[in-house]
This record gives sequence, structure tokens and C-alpha cells, in this order.
Amino acid sequence: MICMFEAELLKLSRRRVTLATVAGTLAFAVLAATAVFLSATGPGEPSAPRGTSVESLAQAGGATEAFAIGASFAGILVLVLFIANVAGEISQGTFRTLLMREPRRIALLAGKMAALLAFVAGVLAFAEILTVAASTAIAPTQDVSTASWFGVDGLGAAAADYGSALAGLTAWALLGMALAIFVRSIPIALAIGIVWSGPFEHLLHDAWIGAGEWFPGLLLETLISGGGNGASVTRALVLVAVYVCVAAGAAGIVFARRDVTV
Amino acid sequence: MSDPPAVQLRGLAKRYGSRAAVEGLTIDVPAGVVAGFVGPNGAGKTTTMAMLLGLVRPSAGTGTVLGKPLEDPASYLGQVGALIEGPAFYRGLTGAENLAVLATVAGHDLAEIPVLLDLVGLGARGDDRFRTYSLGMKQRLGIAGALLGDPRLLILDEPINGLDPAGVHEMRGLIGQLAGGERTVLVSSHVLAELEQVCDWLIVVDHGRLVFQGPAAELLDRADATLVVAPEHVRDLDRLQGLLAAAGHEGQLDDGRLQIAVNGDDPRTLAAVVNRAAGSEGIILAELRVAHTSLEDRYLSMVNGGDR
Repeated sequence: MICMFEAELLKLSRRRVTLATVAGTLAFAVLAATAVFLSATGPGEPSAPRGTSVESLAQAGGATEAFAIGASFAGILVLVLFIANVAGEISQGTFRTLLMREPRRIALLAGKMAALLAFVAGVLAFAEILTVAASTAIAPTQDVSTASWFGVDGLGAAAADYGSALAGLTAWALLGMALAIFVRSIPIALAIGIVWSGPFEHLLHDAWIGAGEWFPGLLLETLISGGGNGASVTRALVLVAVYVCVAAGAAGIVFARRDVTV
Repeated sequence: MSDPPAVQLRGLAKRYGSRAAVEGLTIDVPAGVVAGFVGPNGAGKTTTMAMLLGLVRPSAGTGTVLGKPLEDPASYLGQVGALIEGPAFYRGLTGAENLAVLATVAGHDLAEIPVLLDLVGLGARGDDRFRTYSLGMKQRLGIAGALLGDPRLLILDEPINGLDPAGVHEMRGLIGQLAGGERTVLVSSHVLAELEQVCDWLIVVDHGRLVFQGPAAELLDRADATLVVAPEHVRDLDRLQGLLAAAGHEGQLDDGRLQIAVNGDDPRTLAAVVNRAAGSEGIILAELRVAHTSLEDRYLSMVNGGDR
């Protein structure tokens, strides 16, 4: 498992990947901070659903507000990336090549996923730092006070936002991995993943308000954004954990037992 | 060859529903040989190799690889290198980076990589991305990957498939170069002619069943031989045929020649008998030679049902 972890990191630490990641993260931070601060409503103005106000941005968690909101939109991106990565390994035969070197399949899969998730955790931390920097630069232009941002409460809010985002994106990643292993085809897995977690669950939620308490995509939105969709964060965390454990466990069994014929 | 077999399979089978890909395969590959694993497309070669590599679970049967049980691939795969179903690498990584990933997964020394790239003739292209390689280069990178860790058993599935004649020649040379010492090479192909020059052991399968296994020379020995006889004058052909028939050697007329089956006799003795009989009747022979069925013809007759 450790060898596979190191091998996956070898792929991720290439200069091309590093440059693309830094550029993407920088763009995310600037866009998220700009969008959140420019759309913040002033005192007395009606706030949009899930919107922010100058008052809320001036509070302890204001520094990472843009990060938290931005991360809630990154879930689908992580789902797509993990489906493409894992299904690509299967359909292009590279898993077969790796399995001839490491036949302990669960260890191979666990090592790969651990490396990818470690990479996600690192990128997420980097994104949070950049978003805070961008927010700090933009705040004065929008008359948002940053006085409360860098105290103990501010750091606590930053840690909580990071934890929620990491938990949510880890869940998206593991669900993407499971879907890729079950389906094995990149386009089919992507179609299922995107349609299910995007339009399907939201249409279902429009038709039945209780969907937000049960369906994984909606629960993940609740978890990452810290509320909404009619479920508590605790309920979202527990149910998402159950779904992810079942999906990842089933995928692990399938991966370990299925003949590798591609 | 006194070492235990590198591969020993007993009644190995793989079924997909009602279709049998491999059926009761019992084979031995002696240690240190270059073994050709030959059979037509769909004969079960790749499935058998995949079972040796732990990629496909057998439906029945047992076996050992390098003396370790087939059911426990982790116990022997560290000493096995393989290229199966074509070279599968990361297209965006260079050849050297791809080998580094494989070496890291298996815990091998990264210092091997430049040496192996040189060995397979990719020393100058190791820093180019895999997607820019020709098929022959991809195959050679696959072999370099298989050689990581200096394996005792090398399993190569159709490494010559799709290569141009120059590539086939290069690959044959490379396979010959990889053999020797304690290393065993098991290489598959659906064309025997591609392998007969480099193999000293042959396994022929068809429809998932074993048709032949043994030294390559034994397969040649089993090949049918005929004596080809042609008189100087075509008008003597019928007379010569009658003469030989009277002596107990039936011949078939074929394009101005007589073809006489050797049928286990010593071909030289039979040639002397024919020559003496012709000479005694004043028939001058313009042609008298032994013709062997080629190894390829012998193989084709086997996989077309002759020996099943």
C-alpha cells in the first residue's frame, strides 16, 4: 500500500501537474473571493438564499466564507476527476499493469486513493490560504472589516470550514471511485455520476422536500456548505459516512474479486 | 533442466458461463527455457497467462509458478515480469516516468531504469512521452517494464503482434537476448513461424486444450516426411510408379513427380531402394530428395484438428 501511495504521488508531483494545480487553485481562490464579496448584500438589503452579507463576512469566519462556498461547488469536479482517474486506469489497462506488480488489490487501491486524497487535502489547504489572501485583499474595497478574522475564533472557523470541505470532497471522491469500479467506462460512469448528483437529485428535491434528508448528493451539499436542503449537518455527516462506507466497501469487494480482462 | 518446472499447471480451466476459454490444461515449462506458447486466436493463451499472473481466477485446476502455488500470486509475482494484452502505460508520462511508477509500486531500484531503457533500445527516447511512441517502441517499453527487478520468469503475450518485419526481427533478437541463465521466458504467439527461431520448448493449444508440449525439435521430428522422385523423362513416370508399387512403396503422382510417404522408414534407406530400382530398369533419376513438412504446416495440421 505504501509503495502504491508513493507511486501515485510520483505521478502527481510532476511539474506539469504541479503547475496546472497551482494555476487552477489560484483561479479558484480569486474567483471565489471576488464572487462572494461582490455579491455580498449591504446592511438592510435583502439577502439571497445561501448568499452572504457584509455583516456576515466581517465575522470571525468571514475570511474563509468564500472558500467554504467555493468548496461546495467543487464536489462535482472532484467526482468527475476521480471517476476519470479510476475508470481510466481500468479501461486503459494501467491497473492491469500495476496489478502484475502488486497483486494485493485492496492494498493497491487503498494506496492509490490515499495518495489522491492526500493530494486533495493539500490542494484544499492551499486553496484556503489563497482564498483568505484574496479575501483579505478584496475586503477593504467592499467595506468589510477584517478585524475579527485572524483571532482564535477566526482560526477555529477556518479549521471547521477546512474539515467540512475535506470530509465532503473525500466523500465525493470515494463515491466517484466506487462508481468507476462498478461501471469501468469513463463516459458511462461520468454520465451516471453527473446526472444523478446534479439534475436528478435536485429535481427530486423540488418534487419532494424530504429528499434532502436522504439523498447523498443533497446531503453532501449540506455537509460542505454547513447546512441547507432540510437536513442537519450531523445527520448529513452520519448518512454520508454510511453511504460512503457501503459504496467503498462494495467497490473494494468487486475490485478484489473481479477478473481483470482489460 | 533438473530444476523444478518454472510453470506447472494441472487441469487448469476457465469458464465464462457455458463457454470454456481454457479446459483442463496440464503443462510444464522447464526452468531456463524459452517456451513458445502457440495457438490460434481465441485458443486460451492470454487467459492462461492472465491466470498465471493472478489477473483471472481459475474455474478449476491447480498449479505452481516458480514452485509457489498459483492461488497465491503475491508469493511469486515479485520474481515474475510480464507484458500481457499489449503495453498499457500512462500516455502523459514519459517512458522513464512510467517505469519509475512501476518500479516504485514493486519496490525495485530506480537505478535499473536507464539500464533497461538502453537494453530495449529506448535509451534516447526515455524522456519522451509514451503517447509519442510507435507500436514497436511501446512493446519494447513493455518489455523493459517486465524486466524490472530482474525476474526469474518472463511472460510475454504476443509481443510481436502488429510489428512490421523489421520490428519482428528486432523483437525476436531481444527475446533471444533476454533468455539464458536461470531466466525462463514464456512467450505467446498465434504464428509459430514468429517464434520457432527463438524457442527451445513449445506448447501448442487450441480451443483451450493442450495439443502438444515438448522440445521444439520433437515437434519437427514428428513432422511427416516424403520422398520426392522425378525421372529424367516424364514418359518413365508410370513405369517407375509401377516398379515401386511392386516393391511395396506406393507413390502419388504430383506435377511430374512421385511423392512417396516415408512412413517411419529411414528416408536415406528408402532413397537408396528407389534409386536402385530405377537404375535396374534403366531409368535415370533427375530428382531424388526428402521433403519435410514444415513446422508451421505441422502446427497448422495440429490446430486444425489433426492431432486432437
